[in-house]
Amino acid sequence: MHFAVTAVGADRPGIVAGVTGAFVEHGCNLEDSSMTILRGQFAMMLVVDAPAGVGAGELEAALAGPAADLDLVVTVRQAAEPPEVEPDIESWTVSVYGADHPGIVHGIAALLAERSVNIVDLSTRVVGTSDRPVYTMVLQVTLPPEGDPHQLQADLEAKAGELGVTCRLHPSEADIL
Amino acid sequence: MAVRPVLALPDPFLQRPSATVGPIDAAALALAADLLDTMRSRPACVGLAAPQIGVGLRAFAIDVTGHRKARSCAGELVLFDPVLVSASRPVMGREGCLSIPDLTGDVARATEVVVRGVGVDGTQRELEADTFEARALLHELDHLDGFLFLDRVASPHAVYRRKVYR
Repeated sequence: MHFAVTAVGADRPGIVAGVTGAFVEHGCNLEDSSMTILRGQFAMMLVVDAPAGVGAGELEAALAGPAADLDLVVTVRQAAEPPEVEPDIESWTVSVYGADHPGIVHGIAALLAERSVNIVDLSTRVVGTSDRPVYTMVLQVTLPPEGDPHQLQADLEAKAGELGVTCRLHPSEADIL
Repeated sequence: MAVRPVLALPDPFLQRPSATVGPIDAAALALAADLLDTMRSRPACVGLAAPQIGVGLRAFAIDVTGHRKARSCAGELVLFDPVLVSASRPVMGREGCLSIPDLTGDVARATEVVVRGVGVDGTQRELEADTFEARALLHELDHLDGFLFLDRVASPHAVYRRKVYR
């Protein structure tokens, strides 16, 4: 049985050790994970494979100790069994950047959602100076079977114009190299 | 001749395609001198395109002399109205840009290119470049079309923050 687990808390040494220790004790295998620090908050996302008889309740109970010790907010949720082989779908990279203001991520994401374009990865950074912050965002997306990248590029440019940012689409490099 | 301020993100001028220079006149030569002066004033700079100093014309300076990743090296030069004649063998590599001082990124670029353009003496010249010099030429050509390395980064995890420009 697979479970999607998240844990978030102020960064400090020992978070990964504490959370994964609870999995080891219950014979869980860590299948996939992504962990990063966002402005001092350490965020963990994991998919674990638990042995028969270990359910969400047991995992939550097992994580309660480290969550309390490390002041983490933890969630556990049963996940659908992953496909045997990840489908090989062509992906595209979208770059967005411009003067920082609220609504950039939502504006772009809403347009993508309307067109059934799936965001599979996303990273943002604020750079520049405090009086002139610059927002940069790079997304990896997959298009629906009927999706037209040229039309999507045109639509993204129009939306970017409204938002006062630059937005460009190109095939992900894995497809080129 | 002068060291000019370099435009940085989010200046929209950097996204504008530049116009053809045409015959090399005194103004073009003054632009070439400014590009070279400004490029030389930045120790880590191996190339600078006219739009980066606020001039919307198709011209850039490059110089990869002494760079540890360079193989071909045409030395310091300015090219007007450059065109990409051929490009092959893409390889991933890290790039930075004076106009994006806080970030670097991994970009796939051709490692063998031929670029044709007009030199400061007004004659056509053709450059065959490889590895780092090819990357620098492609990066500068992109500037003339209003493209930055951020438009070409490989993935959401191919952008890195940097503390010092070097």
